[in-house]
Amino acid sequence: MSAGLDEFLIDVKPQREWGWLVITYLFLGGAGAGLFLASLYMTHPWGEAMGLLLLVIGTLFLMLDLGRPERFWRAFWRARSSWISRGCYFIAELVVLGALVVLMEFAGKDFGLLTTLVKVGAAAAAVAVMIYTGFVLSPSAAIPFWNSAFFPVIFFAYSLLAGIDFLILASPILPPPAIDIAHLEKIQFGLVLFCLLLVISHFSVMSGSATAARKSIQLLTRGKWAVLFLGGVIGVGLVVPLLLAWPMLWQAGFQTVFAVTAILALLRLCGDYLFRFLVIRAGLYDPLL
Amino acid sequence: MARYGMVIDLNICIGCNACTMACKAEHATPPGVFYSKVLEKEVGKYPAARRIFLPVLCNHCRIPACEEVCPTGATSKRADGIVTVDHELCIGCRSCMEACPYGARTFYNREATYYFNEKTPFEEIKQDFPDGIVMKCNFCADRVDQGLDPACVQTCPTECRIFGDLDDAQSKVAQIIAEKKARPLLADKGLEPSVFYVGA
Repeated sequence: MSAGLDEFLIDVKPQREWGWLVITYLFLGGAGAGLFLASLYMTHPWGEAMGLLLLVIGTLFLMLDLGRPERFWRAFWRARSSWISRGCYFIAELVVLGALVVLMEFAGKDFGLLTTLVKVGAAAAAVAVMIYTGFVLSPSAAIPFWNSAFFPVIFFAYSLLAGIDFLILASPILPPPAIDIAHLEKIQFGLVLFCLLLVISHFSVMSGSATAARKSIQLLTRGKWAVLFLGGVIGVGLVVPLLLAWPMLWQAGFQTVFAVTAILALLRLCGDYLFRFLVIRAGLYDPLL
Repeated sequence: MARYGMVIDLNICIGCNACTMACKAEHATPPGVFYSKVLEKEVGKYPAARRIFLPVLCNHCRIPACEEVCPTGATSKRADGIVTVDHELCIGCRSCMEACPYGARTFYNREATYYFNEKTPFEEIKQDFPDGIVMKCNFCADRVDQGLDPACVQTCPTECRIFGDLDDAQSKVAQIIAEKKARPLLADKGLEPSVFYVGA
């Protein structure tokens, strides 16, 4: 409930309804699904379990953001039109199927086709969880900066990036099988490049878009969020990890030092959280007149 | 079936906020919650500076973006085009607020009263909604069902608001829209609003 003086002015207005709880969900939910997917690819049940845990914690943040959290179950009702409703099914599917995968792998059980189907279902749900938040934003008629087909892809790339970073950071304490950090770092290099390309493409398209979208771009590149966006998202989160990883990747017999990869992972995670924070914060409504 | 809508003549509006107050009295909305309000802007330079007023409310769009994103079905559109919120179904996710380009919705996130933290007898009776939900104009659906105009229309001293059936070419609202070439706000959003403005 907020009705400040600017509520009564005819001007571009920032969205204020979604704040740090939703932003933290976007980060943890995406990272959890990404971690699950990466661990499934490497057949690492501990990583998979950690991914599910991150997702559940993220979902708790989302529930805390609701005005009536005790009614959360009603959010399953409108899957035919609402991406939030669809997201509830994706999360539920990932938690249930993911838990089955983890249990089967810990127990060393393989039921043939059934196991394959459960794994494929869990992987599909993980991809859906990583993508659907982009679809929550991208159809927005109200906030032009969000009205972009890039968001589902950007959120997928950032989620996978964050998931693998959590796997890298947890690798020293996770029980076997051993994680091939060098292999993951090579994937991360490609993903960071991909994220950079997507973010630049999105900004390029938006800079020629509606009034509010251009103002969002101005806020992020020349306004009050410029330091966080250019320094944090682009610099710390993408360019610095690229520059630091570049010389290592082209060494013959590339070996990683955990401390270095951990620093790279932390930088990328900071950039990921900041990106989601700024995407939400820089959402502006067009002026009515 | 009728499709209800409204036309507001900005050339006549004097920015008195009688509509704002009539709406608050009709719906007993808590502090900070406005179904209807009047936006202002100063334009021009001295000595030709002037204030312009823009009364705003829910646009009851033919294609309501708020209804599409609502995950619970709390927001729905009646057969007569009025878009309503069922306060018992709303979970307060505010996706409708993010989807509405008109800023027509308000999140009521904590119980609040106007008088010394106590509800007046009027508020006790009229405030039949919990906190933690999203609220908005419903074109005074209860009054409309009784054949009355919405409270803001009835109270407007300059008669700058006209309410009626947009699909009836003989209705006053449809005739004014046609004669005075009234336009909706943000028509480019493609939501086909049911509130039109003369002089916008």
